[in-house]
Amino acid sequence: MTFTVKDALIKRSPLRVLEKSISGGLGMGNLGVLASRKGVGKTACLVHIAADKLLQGKPVIHVSYASRVDHIMTWYEDIFRELAKAPKMSAALDEFDELIRNRVIMNFRREGARTEQVLRSLEAMIVHAGFRAEAVIVDGLDFALAGPGELRLFKDFAGRLGLEVWFSASLKGEEPLFDERGVPRELEPCLPAIDVLISLQHHGDHVHFNLVQDHGRLAPRDLRLRLDPTTLLIEEARGPARQTL
Amino acid sequence: MNGDIASMRNIGISAHIDSGKTTLTERILFYCKKIHKVHEVKGRDGVGATMDSMDLERERGISIASATTNVAWAGRSINIIDTPGHVDFTIEVERSLRVLDSAVLVLCSVGGVQSQTITVDRQLRRYNVPFIAFVNKLDRVGANPFKVRDQLEAKLGHRAVLMQLPIGLEGSFEGLVDLVRMTALYFDGADGETVRVGPVPGGLAAEAARKREELLDAASLHSDELTEALLEGRATEALVQDAVRRGVLARKLVPVFLGSAYRNKGIQPLLDAVVDYLPHPGEVENRAADLDAGGVERVLAPDPAAKAVALAFKLEDGPYGQLTYIRVYQGGLRKGDELVNTRSGQRIKVGRLVRMHADTMVEIGEARCGEIVALFGVDCASGDTFCGPGLNLAMTSIHVPEPVVSLAIAPVDKAAADRLAKALGRFTKEDPTFRTHVDPESNQTIIQGMGELHLDVYVERMKREYRAEVATGMPQVAYREAIGRQADFDYTHRKQTGGAGQYARVIGRLEPFSKGAFEFASEVRGGRIPRDFIPSCEKGFRAALKKGALIGFPVTGVRVVLVDGNFHPVDSSDLAFQTAAQAAFKQAYMGAKPRLLEPVMKVSVEGPAEFAGSVFATISQRRGTIVSSVEDGTVSRVDAEVPLAEMFGYATVLRSLTQGKAEFTMEFLKYGRVPAPQAEVLMERRLERSRSVTPR
Repeated sequence: MTFTVKDALIKRSPLRVLEKSISGGLGMGNLGVLASRKGVGKTACLVHIAADKLLQGKPVIHVSYASRVDHIMTWYEDIFRELAKAPKMSAALDEFDELIRNRVIMNFRREGARTEQVLRSLEAMIVHAGFRAEAVIVDGLDFALAGPGELRLFKDFAGRLGLEVWFSASLKGEEPLFDERGVPRELEPCLPAIDVLISLQHHGDHVHFNLVQDHGRLAPRDLRLRLDPTTLLIEEARGPARQTL
Repeated sequence: MNGDIASMRNIGISAHIDSGKTTLTERILFYCKKIHKVHEVKGRDGVGATMDSMDLERERGISIASATTNVAWAGRSINIIDTPGHVDFTIEVERSLRVLDSAVLVLCSVGGVQSQTITVDRQLRRYNVPFIAFVNKLDRVGANPFKVRDQLEAKLGHRAVLMQLPIGLEGSFEGLVDLVRMTALYFDGADGETVRVGPVPGGLAAEAARKREELLDAASLHSDELTEALLEGRATEALVQDAVRRGVLARKLVPVFLGSAYRNKGIQPLLDAVVDYLPHPGEVENRAADLDAGGVERVLAPDPAAKAVALAFKLEDGPYGQLTYIRVYQGGLRKGDELVNTRSGQRIKVGRLVRMHADTMVEIGEARCGEIVALFGVDCASGDTFCGPGLNLAMTSIHVPEPVVSLAIAPVDKAAADRLAKALGRFTKEDPTFRTHVDPESNQTIIQGMGELHLDVYVERMKREYRAEVATGMPQVAYREAIGRQADFDYTHRKQTGGAGQYARVIGRLEPFSKGAFEFASEVRGGRIPRDFIPSCEKGFRAALKKGALIGFPVTGVRVVLVDGNFHPVDSSDLAFQTAAQAAFKQAYMGAKPRLLEPVMKVSVEGPAEFAGSVFATISQRRGTIVSSVEDGTVSRVDAEVPLAEMFGYATVLRSLTQGKAEFTMEFLKYGRVPAPQAEVLMERRLERSRSVTPR
């Protein structure tokens, strides 16, 4: 009984809309990036993506560069609480404890955290500790500092271990942030290593999602998804598609 | 030393294991002239630090039981409790915190805020204990007191402020700059006993000025007077001290002091700080429940003239009989005074009264309000309250966790058996988390405690202190049983074997219950079961809970609803209904999808980042869930949830895996479900055991 409700929740998830728009999903060995200025809602989106994987029983590693890990745990609790508000879901989400066993948070302090070290620890978790992650969330990597070189290390790693990796990229530069193709100018050097690039932009009360690059193709397009400002969940946008760059 | 309450300090020294607090205590005793020579904890001189009074502690180089001692500094009387650092013994830490007015939190300048520090901090918070911080081991390679101060803020959420600056660090650590007086302090003489005051070294002047600014900023939040004085440029030493003191008492400010106990640096200023910034007993509010007024809480008056109220917080079996450590909260005690133990109602007469210094003692004629002393020849348990005649108060009971590990022990011979009984009696009185019983099935003596090491220490103490040699079995986890769904029962108990018969019928259901261990409800209408027998049914169900049918461990989380039943006017009795209820429970239990629960521990492993991968592997091999891993440069911490059953011997595994460079702490988190394969093994084992027990 509870499984059918959970299945329905997975099926109805707005993340299915996202997958459809990006040729069926990010896919193993690929890197996806959510880019926006600070405070727009990238972490919320990443946690929603992770929660969706966990609901499907897929193990997730959440890599963060923050100074504390407790608030990341709170993010997950909050998002599961919001998801549990769906009809008949409350019983299914009594299994929160079970679901969350499939998530590991790995925190690296910014100063000492070279990508080689991060990947070494990830490999230890996946290979030595047998935590068979299918997706990795990387929140807070400094793209300006990492550059295309370190991104390529991530790409190789994802390919070798069969992972899909979602990043957040915080854009800090001066306006205009995006070039004529909609590509964040700061991320241009990294573009070849990125498979799916999505930008988040304020539009009225909501944050909207624009697909910039889909598996190597530059294809700017409104994803018809937005972030609900109260629940911080991704939801389908209603009304006609907006004109993107 | 005057007898005024304002001149007393009751402090605890709390820390992560190995931050050097025993060495620190040793130095304090030395500078207060309680001992005439300093020893090291793991000393080459074979004497060991004075505070680790038990042989065992000397051997292991760790503090186990809190020893209390009294010292005099700057005309003040300071009672110090040396608290143990290992999580297995936190009941000791908690008990000490209950009787102390304040604490010194010792941190290692290399390790900083570690997992145990977080536990201790939580305890200080729970008992609302004000404290100052001491960052020790500034002579060590990698010492960074600034990082430790930052961690006090980032990891523990305290407003921490440096009161001193180091002059040099690591191998070149020479002395301290006092940021209140803006002077440099050096510690001369063979044992650092002479404090030499000098000008602040030129190279440090700018930084000292900046840090002093930070100190004044933080302190001025707690005193308008200081704020005003600062604006007018007339801040005095006394004003700054007063403001910091207010911040400390309100637990809103943590002044950070620095030093190296091992190198004899920074101890005297720390003692000054204890006197200057920590509260005296009269400044701390203590409460007790008034048993004559239905348990209403009353604030105790720190008034020497009031009737006495004292708490027995620790018992020890010394060479001269039982020693009871007490803290006087109200009034005073004199030799010959009569007191009442409000738990047992027993009256006692105060006999010998002593002040303790590790394991030597000084006889005193009276103990004043606020003091910590020891009584001889008093029969009582830890946590008992003693009151003057006419009072009936109970000090708030100390939070005691349920034991999670048990161990079967057997004395090797008859003589050992007698001594063992004596040892067990003593230990259970001393330590509420240590319990013992005889298993009726195997007839074995079982001891229970908070962890493997906890029980190990007691087994060794049996040998050393009581010459009671015992053989031990494998440590056993305290499993629980619970039900997974509702199940109905309808049971009739009938017995007719000549004489009075027995008859009782109970109908109802068992339900899973998440709010507690057990609830009983009766929905019986129309006298189908006479009212007098309803409690008999409850009693029967309670008895049935003690041993679940799966593996014989207590059943928890059950609600029993009694719906209907039947009785016989002659043959029904209290006993008949109890028996019926027990049998009804057994009847319904297997239909209620019973499952096994096991204690799951919160485990925290800290060590060099290079071993993180190996640590991950050890956790997952033990059915553990890694919750998070934090890497901060070269140091890593892994937080995980691991079933206790898998944690036996982990210390050894971790040590050999990381060349002794990683350490772990664990504490009880919750009861979690035992996975089916492990549950089957447990049930199989239980079956084998019951087969092997031959009926007598």
